[in-house]
Amino acid sequence: MNRTLRSLAAHVLPPALTLIGALLFWEFWVQWRDIAIIVVPPPSAVLERFLDDPDFFRRHGGWTLYEATLGLLLGSSFALALAVAMAHSRLTERALFPLAIIIKVTPIVAVAPVLVIMFGFGTTPKILVAALLSFFPMLVNAMTGFRDVNPGALEFMRSLRASPWQLFWKLRLPSALPYLFAALKITYPLALIGAVVAEWFTGDRGLGLVIFVANANLDTPTLFAAVGVLALTGVTLNVLLYLTERRLLFWHETIRTIR
Amino acid sequence: MANVRYHVSLRNLTHVFQDSRRALTALADVALEAVWGQFLTVIGPSGCGKSTLLRIIGGLLRPSEGEVLIDGAAPVESQRRRDIGFVFQDPALLPWRTVLSNVRLPLEIDHGARARTAPSPEELLELTGLADFHSYYPHELSGGMQQRVAIARALAFDPSLLLMDEPFGALDEITRSAMRYELLRIWSAGGGAPSGAEGQPTRRPHKTVVFVTHSIPEAIALSDRVVVLSPRPGAVRAAIDIELPRPRTQEMERTAPFLDYADQLRNLLKEAPA
Ligand SMILES: Nc1ncnc2c1ncn2[C@@H]1O[C@H](COP(=O)(O)OP(=O)(O)O)[C@@H](O)[C@H]1O
Ligand SMILES: [Mg+2]
Repeated sequence: MNRTLRSLAAHVLPPALTLIGALLFWEFWVQWRDIAIIVVPPPSAVLERFLDDPDFFRRHGGWTLYEATLGLLLGSSFALALAVAMAHSRLTERALFPLAIIIKVTPIVAVAPVLVIMFGFGTTPKILVAALLSFFPMLVNAMTGFRDVNPGALEFMRSLRASPWQLFWKLRLPSALPYLFAALKITYPLALIGAVVAEWFTGDRGLGLVIFVANANLDTPTLFAAVGVLALTGVTLNVLLYLTERRLLFWHETIRTIR
Repeated sequence: MANVRYHVSLRNLTHVFQDSRRALTALADVALEAVWGQFLTVIGPSGCGKSTLLRIIGGLLRPSEGEVLIDGAAPVESQRRRDIGFVFQDPALLPWRTVLSNVRLPLEIDHGARARTAPSPEELLELTGLADFHSYYPHELSGGMQQRVAIARALAFDPSLLLMDEPFGALDEITRSAMRYELLRIWSAGGGAPSGAEGQPTRRPHKTVVFVTHSIPEAIALSDRVVVLSPRPGAVRAAIDIELPRPRTQEMERTAPFLDYADQLRNLLKEAPA
């Protein structure tokens, strides 16, 4: 118990102190140079705005998180299905990978308005943008993961005449888990960005809308508070992913060595 | 079943690895036989085709030419009947599974195949000296212990043929020589194939083992018969029967007959390539 507390302190304290230091510096700098609030608001004003109506941020943040999560699930499911197909056949890989590249290189800012035209102003285009952004990193990592199987274990499964189905569930998928987690740490924040960008274009709710409206009204405290909530959500998700990963991948050397 | 003279019989076996640019002959006209219950060791320098030979016997690789009979039929038949167990140099345990769960893996792959007489995974752990470690994960075990798990796993279906590819090759010398006698103990404890008439529960005393190594003392200590392969392409250079009494002990390794066999094998391995 004492040890976990100490290790928690060792991991949380340094970044927390850095953050507090930066905020304090920012606060004093704004006060000292007497910078107008519409240019840069002091952290105190941002915090005040947040505490003024936390429910407002919770509601909009909740929508954004919801869209990002559904998008992530959708994009990851497609990526996983495709990666399985590609890991099993070079022909599928050759046929489909260029398509995946096209999805990757198309700027999302260009795609978002098109999706809005196609799917209207509801949640669908936001989920789709989040899905598009999370698709490619998951695909590439999953493909690598499904192929990075201990050859000895593969040979042993073959000697047992394991079916492709058994091979996948008992060997390929668990072997790929470290890669899938690495992908999630990239794609979850990306899905959040995707949802915000889509809301920005056509939202009736969500943090993207909040940022858009606050920006138009030169309401910098609201704008910064929304950005802060977004950042905090991203950090929380990463911490949750990290903790899950440590529980699930206790056997993997990357996890074992950091203890 | 179990009524052919040889458990394993290879004739005119040649294997060529062919890719688009070149052909590599790994085995050239190999012939060998193992009778039921025999401990047969194949010894030869690195790259002479020992692993290739074992994979062919186990039905993991089809030879380019020649005849392979396991129990009088193609290797896949034995493989289908779950009558072949494999131990490779890399134990290749699944790191996310406990020791017990690793030993259970074969039974998960094929629920129906475990013979009624086959020992349970728990009994196999007992046999291999792992009973206290059943809930450990592979990364918590030494190399020698991991290899014991691999042996237990290979025995899950109680196969009558055990194929072992340098299973102790990655261990330190002390663990390695101890594991020899552990393996012999396990081999003596586990039964072989059923023999005699239908319905008669007599069992041959031992499993047939085809063991691959490049260690001379290991080959002598373990085997009834040692087959020496020449450097690549592998061909049988000689076969020696080891007529040391059983049970074999570590002390025998210093006796004159043992050292004579060692000299004999060393000379055979040293001879200039044909
Ligand atoms: N899958 C393969 N494709 C091409 N060449 C191979 C393959 N497997 C083995 N070889 C070659 O065949 C020869 C014999 O290999 P191997 O049976 O592993 O030897 P050993 O086990 O005696 O060290 C080596 O030269 C090796 O490079
Ligand atoms: Mg080898």
